[in-house]
Formats: sequence, structure tokens, C-alpha cells
Amino acid sequence: MGKSRVRNNIRKLRFFRDEMTQQQLADRVGVTRQTIIAMEQEKYSPSLELAFRIALVFDVPLGEVFSYDPEDDSN
Amino acid sequence: MSYQEKNITVSLVNFTLILGFYLIRVFQMIQDGSFNSTNVFRLWGIVITLGIVVTILGTILTHIVSAIIQAIKTKQEPDIRDIQDERDTIIDLRGTKITYIAYSIGIFLSMLTFALNQPPLVMFTLLVFFGLLAQVIGDISRLYLYRRGF
Repeated sequence: MGKSRVRNNIRKLRFFRDEMTQQQLADRVGVTRQTIIAMEQEKYSPSLELAFRIALVFDVPLGEVFSYDPEDDSN
Repeated sequence: MSYQEKNITVSLVNFTLILGFYLIRVFQMIQDGSFNSTNVFRLWGIVITLGIVVTILGTILTHIVSAIIQAIKTKQEPDIRDIQDERDTIIDLRGTKITYIAYSIGIFLSMLTFALNQPPLVMFTLLVFFGLLAQVIGDISRLYLYRRGF
């Protein structure tokens, strides 16, 4: 529970897309604004399909939007 | 609070009230000495009907009230999005799983009353009690997942 180990740059990428709103991004990828908020707060790890859709909206490779933090894997 | 969260909150309040009503009626029956099959099964009918009707009415009212509040806030045509995305689906499935687990434990505990030489009426009374309790636990877990994330 709590923070996901999948990190993302959605907030930064929205900022560089003329401050795209969370609702605009949500509409374009077909989810609710609450899901975008949860992802930005790293409380939810999206499915692979949604992750690809978000990368397509920002027109960047998947790795530029999402990264994985293996810090806790060693425990 | 999203539309889904509002719906779950309404469901939680409804089922908590129905559970309270059920418990009060059962204890009244025990005190009156009217704890018999006719009254217990009548209460079953009332509780199940209440559960269905109140859930439907609650959903409709939530929709209407949300639209009115949004219209007042934005002073525009309300746009209530009742879409369920992948996160909502996962939370719903996890909530349902928790409800089933809680109800399974409840059924097991109800069956234990036979082992303790209690009449079948006690088991039937506990079955509905645990059914309502499982619904409440499921709704709380859904709200928890929406708030805490996963």
C-alpha cells in the first residue's frame, strides 16, 4: 500500500506541454482526472497500455515518462 | 471526491444504517420474546428489500445532487462523468474480494452456532448480519484504497 515504486514525470511533461491540465490529459488517455492525480502522486501504477497511451500523448518514449525504482527489491 | 467515491460513501452510509436497523430489531425481538421464525424471516425480507431499493435510490440521488452542486460551483451545464477506468475497476474488484472473504468468515462463524447447539434461527439471523457487515467492510476497504492508493 501507499507509494508505488514506479516513478513518473507526468507533472513535468504536462508543464512543458503548455501547462496541459490533468482533465485534458485524462480525456486524451480515457481515464478519470482522479487517476491522473493518483499517478502524479505515485499512489497508482498504471497498466502497460495506459502507460503507452500517456507516452503517445506527450510524444516521448515510455522510459521518459516512467521509471522503476528497484530500491526496495533488495529487502 | 470523485463520483465513484461519492457512490461508495452513500452505499457505506446506507448499509451502516440498515445494519443498525437490523441489530436494533433483532435485539428488540429477543427482549420481547418474539424471536421466532415468522418475525426473523419477515425482517430478512425487509432488510433485503431495503438494501436493494436504498442502493438504487442512493445512486440516483448521488447523481442528481452531484450535478446540482457542480452546476452551482461552475455556473455551467453539469458534466458528470460516470466512466469507470482501470483504477476504478481494480479498486472495485479488490473491494469485492474483501467483501467475499469477510462474508465467507461470517458464514463459517454462523455455521459454528450449530456446533454450539444453537437453533437454526440463530444461524439465519447471523447470516444476514454478516452479509451486511461484509458489505460495510467492502465499502470501507474501497474508500481506503481510493485514499491511500496501491
